[in-house]
This record gives sequence, structure tokens and C-alpha cells, in this order.
Amino acid sequence: MIVEGTVLSIPRANIDTDQIIPARHLTRIDASGMGEHCFEGLPGGAELLASKPGAAILVTGENFGCGSSREHAAWALKDRGFRAVIAPSFARIFLENAYTNALVPVILPQATVDALASAERIEIDVESQTLRADGGQPIAFELDALRKHFVLGGGFLAYLNAKIPEIRTWEAAR
Amino acid sequence: MPRSLFDKVWDAHVVEELPGGNALVFMDLVVAHEITTPPGAIAIEKEFGDKLYDPQRIVAMIDHVAPAKDSATALQAQTVRTWAKRQAIRFHDIGDNGICHVIVPERGYVTPGMTACCGDSHTCTLGAFGAFALGIGTTAQAGAMLAGCLILQRPKVMRVEVTGELQGDATAKDLALTVIATIGFRGGTGYVLEYTGSAIRALTMEQRMTLCNMAIEAGATTGIIAADATTAAYLAATPGAPTGWTGETADDDAEYAATVTIDGSAVGPMVSWGTNPGECSPIGGTVAADAPAESLAYMDLRPGQAMRSIEVDQAFIGSCTNARITDLRAAADVLRGRHVSVPTIITPGSQAVRRQAEREGLHDVFQDAGALWTHSSCGPCLGMSMGVLAPGMRCVSSSNRNFPGRMGDGGRVHLAAPVVVAASAILGRLASPSELPPRTEAGAPDDGVAQGAAAREVVPA
Ligand code: SF4
Repeated sequence: MIVEGTVLSIPRANIDTDQIIPARHLTRIDASGMGEHCFEGLPGGAELLASKPGAAILVTGENFGCGSSREHAAWALKDRGFRAVIAPSFARIFLENAYTNALVPVILPQATVDALASAERIEIDVESQTLRADGGQPIAFELDALRKHFVLGGGFLAYLNAKIPEIRTWEAAR
Repeated sequence: MPRSLFDKVWDAHVVEELPGGNALVFMDLVVAHEITTPPGAIAIEKEFGDKLYDPQRIVAMIDHVAPAKDSATALQAQTVRTWAKRQAIRFHDIGDNGICHVIVPERGYVTPGMTACCGDSHTCTLGAFGAFALGIGTTAQAGAMLAGCLILQRPKVMRVEVTGELQGDATAKDLALTVIATIGFRGGTGYVLEYTGSAIRALTMEQRMTLCNMAIEAGATTGIIAADATTAAYLAATPGAPTGWTGETADDDAEYAATVTIDGSAVGPMVSWGTNPGECSPIGGTVAADAPAESLAYMDLRPGQAMRSIEVDQAFIGSCTNARITDLRAAADVLRGRHVSVPTIITPGSQAVRRQAEREGLHDVFQDAGALWTHSSCGPCLGMSMGVLAPGMRCVSSSNRNFPGRMGDGGRVHLAAPVVVAASAILGRLASPSELPPRTEAGAPDDGVAQGAAAREVVPA
């Protein structure tokens, strides 16, 4: 699975999910239609998005996706066309949500992230866990071995559904 | 091997170790509310025949926008309502509503040693009961409803010892902000904060909930406090009056991945000045000299500016952090016989809290003081309804998040304890209760106009 596209860099730490999608837009009963409000809560967000129309790879700062658990943040980014987020660290809940929604979360050291911020295009090979910026040398990164499977198309809920007999046995014996 | 409290609860719920360092962790309770539950419930209905692992392990409520403010939020509520009815899930509808993290403890749905999750980051509140409780996304919640389990990476455990005891005006909120300022806004990422020490033991359950509520604001997976006699007494008085639980405690020689010690006796009233809860100072202090330019620009503040010089346009007492009965009593003690000088909204954490407050006459105290006393909802805490800020408006709030736009696009939020919010509401600037002028005549008829304490006749206290 190759994820590639142009880069939008937002070199800020602690971009929380309220900035990614403000609560006033959490009023749907499905996951659709969030993209138009993506980064509406980020000061200067609209201008940043307009500077790189069609960007698919977000390169950003530490602790991305902190705050509210809203999966709407992952939905908004996907609906806006983002396929991967590259950052030095993610907040736990956002990281889990990214995996379940196949929004590839790439964790790299700050210096590497800084270098990638000026790239025009990034190509990510999810299977081999490597990326290339503007055709340069491959850079390796880690993915959660189980959750990678959800990114590659294995359904999260289907995986859990298959575990139910085992879980019921465990519960009965508890 | 000696284990922490968290380790014991975790170990007792691991169904299976999974690849990548993950574990399949059984969830004793799944809490569902109208904002994050519908897409997951609909996915289960469409893809898995509406099958739930165990509807009796779910409790649902309308809390964030209660009642609905428009047709879209009405559809969210109606979706949860019909789903709960169809599945025979315990459900708290409008009238019996409250914020999930207030309802679940007050009804006795949480017990020590259990696991709980909700599509809501402040589920960590329930850690106050010695439970492992955490916020998750909609799909993970759906998984817990479908299969009874979450897939989780085992968090590390940070022992947070709070020595001494809280003194004077200091509250659990001030302790929570002190913890975040100490370990950093993302300093808890990857950890569970296991709170211990004499100051923790001395806290009421409401105070423990306030403290654990803000564990997520340090990035932590959750907070946890060992159950004791205080926990038992609180739970025995709930409608559910749960029995049969045994509270685990940490082994004396348990090892922790990190340890932090805080002097509880040195904690004083804290107020945030920045755009995350770690950016805070004592009320008598100043905006940090090295404050990030982005935070200052958003908040329109200067480094070194006295916290007490910051004027506010609105005050809010509410949210899952600080809207329980003890919070309202504390706010009422400040507001009694005084008058607010800025629009002040007081929103109880649940309808049960509201009714208790009214039995105690607190609603009269608030309204005599010129505050708006509302029904329960999350309201302006997340900028959805009932007091949303305009761009540039500054609000002192008992809630938990001061992120840009959190309470309304362009709105500025200063986090503080309810008593500090109340004092600030009276003086129109950030203030602690100790600064307040004497009270007006007790029970003086209210003229219905907020005009500030100074404009009213005062008599010696
Ligand atoms: S009160 Fe605020 S923080 Fe708490 S659950 Fe509601 S919106 Fe979230």
C-alpha cells in the first residue's frame, strides 16, 4: 500500500482535536461531511489549507491530536484528503483513531520531521514502513504491528467480532 | 512481582496478549452519549446485525447538548434514545440527564477494580474510584459494545504522590492544574497517573473526581486512586449502592516507570493564562515570562502581566470537572450576599445535582447574586450551546480545556476552581475569594441587574 501526495506543513506542537474540528460541527450521526470544517479551529488554518490545495500528507508538531477523543478529527482529515500524518508524537486516542481510519500515523524524530516539512511530495510505503521525500533516500519508521493490519484494510470491528467466542469463554471463567 | 494498583486492575482484565504489544482488555462498563455513539451504534446495526456483547454493560445518556439545540442534535439524541430502548440499555433521557462523568458515579455504576470506557476523553474521571477508565474513539467504543473489549497498548504507570494536605483556598482543581504544570501538558502521555499520598487520602470523592478528570489534560491515559473508606461511603449512598467490590491497593514495593512528588500543602489557587491547561500560574502570580508567543497572541496577554489584572467578560461554573454538589456549595459560599459584575452561567453537572442544589437553596443564592442558573448540560464547556463565546470574549471557567476556540470561535478561556470563578465573576477580573469586599446585606432583594459588588450597599461582614 503506497500513500503519497503533496505536503502541508503545520509546524506547531499540541494541535488539539478542537482545532482540527470544532465541537460545533460534531452534530452528525455519521462520519461524513467533516472535511469542509477541517482545521477551522486552528488559528490561520484556512490560509494554511489554501496554501497547499490537495495536500495529502500532513507534517506537524509534537502531541498532535491531543484533547477531545472525537474520532471526527480523523474523519475530518481523511475527508479533507489527508492520508497520513507525520509528527514527532501523537496523543494516544488520536493515534488509535488514526489507525482505525487508515490515516497513516508516522512517528519520526523532531529533526527528521523538520527536514520533511520543506518537502514537496512524500511517498509512504506502509507495508515496508518506509517513506521517501521528493524521491530521496528511504526513511524507516515504526508502525504498531497489529494496527498496521487495520490500515492495510483489515476491518477493526471485524477483527474484534471474530474474537467474541474467546472473550465469552474468558468472561465465563473469570 | 509487586504490582501497582493499575497493574492489578489491568491484569485482571486482559483476555489475550496481542501482536505489537497490544492486549485485548475486557470492559466491564461502556458509557454512551449522543455526540460520539451514533456512528458506532449504526455501524453495528448495519454490519453486525445490531448485536451487542452485553447491553447490560452499557449505560447511555443525553449530556452534551441537553436538550437538543437544533434538528441535527435532536437527531443525535433520538438515535441514542431509540437504540437504547431497542437494546434495553439503561438510559438517562432529558429530565434525568447529566454529564456522563457525573451521572455514572452518582448513580453507583462505577465500582473499584472495574474497567470502563466511553467515547469521551474525560472518562478518566472514574479513576477516582480505583477503576481503570479511559476515553476512546467512536470505533473503539463500537468495538467495546460489539465484543466487550478494547485493544490497548499497556500504559506505563507514573506514581504521583501528593504529600501534606490542601490548605486554605486550595481545591482539587488547583491540584490538578499544579500536576499538569509540573509534569507538563504532554508529560503524562503513555502513562496512567496513580495518585497517592496523604493529600489524596484526605480528598472527598468529588475532589478525587476533579483531579482524575484532568489526567487527560497531561496527556495521560487516565488517573487512578485506590478505593478506601471515603470511596465506600460515597458508593453506599448512591442509588445503585453497589456491593461486592473489593478495592485493590498498590503493593508497598511496587515499581513505577516514573515518580513525581508534589507538596499538597504548597498548592494554592491556580488559573490558566495560555491555550492549554499546563499554561497556568498561581492567582497571585503573573503570566509566564517565557510564555509561547502563539499562546499570548491568541489570549491577548503580555508576559509578566499580573494574573489579577486580567478582566473577564463572562464566568462559567459547570462541566464534568467542577459541577458536582460540593462545587456548587463552594461557589455559593462565595456568591452568597454578593453580586456578579459579568454574565455568569452556573450549570449543574446533572439534574440530580440540580435538584439537590435547589433543596439546599443554592439556586436562590446564585440568582440573588445575578447569575444564570441553568439545567444540566455540557453547554459552553465545548462551545456547543448555552453560553458559547464570541471572538475575543474572555471567560473564566471551571471547566477543563482552554484550547483555542474550545468555548467558541476566537473565545479566550481561563481555567480555575469554582470559588475562583465565583470571585472573578464578582470583581470582573481574575480574583481569589480572599480578595472580596464584605458581603451585601444577607437576603437583600435582588434588583435583577448585574451591577457589581461595589455598586451595592455593603454592611460589615
Ligand atoms: S463537560 Fe465538557 S469536558 Fe466534560 S464531557 Fe462535557 S464537553 Fe466534555
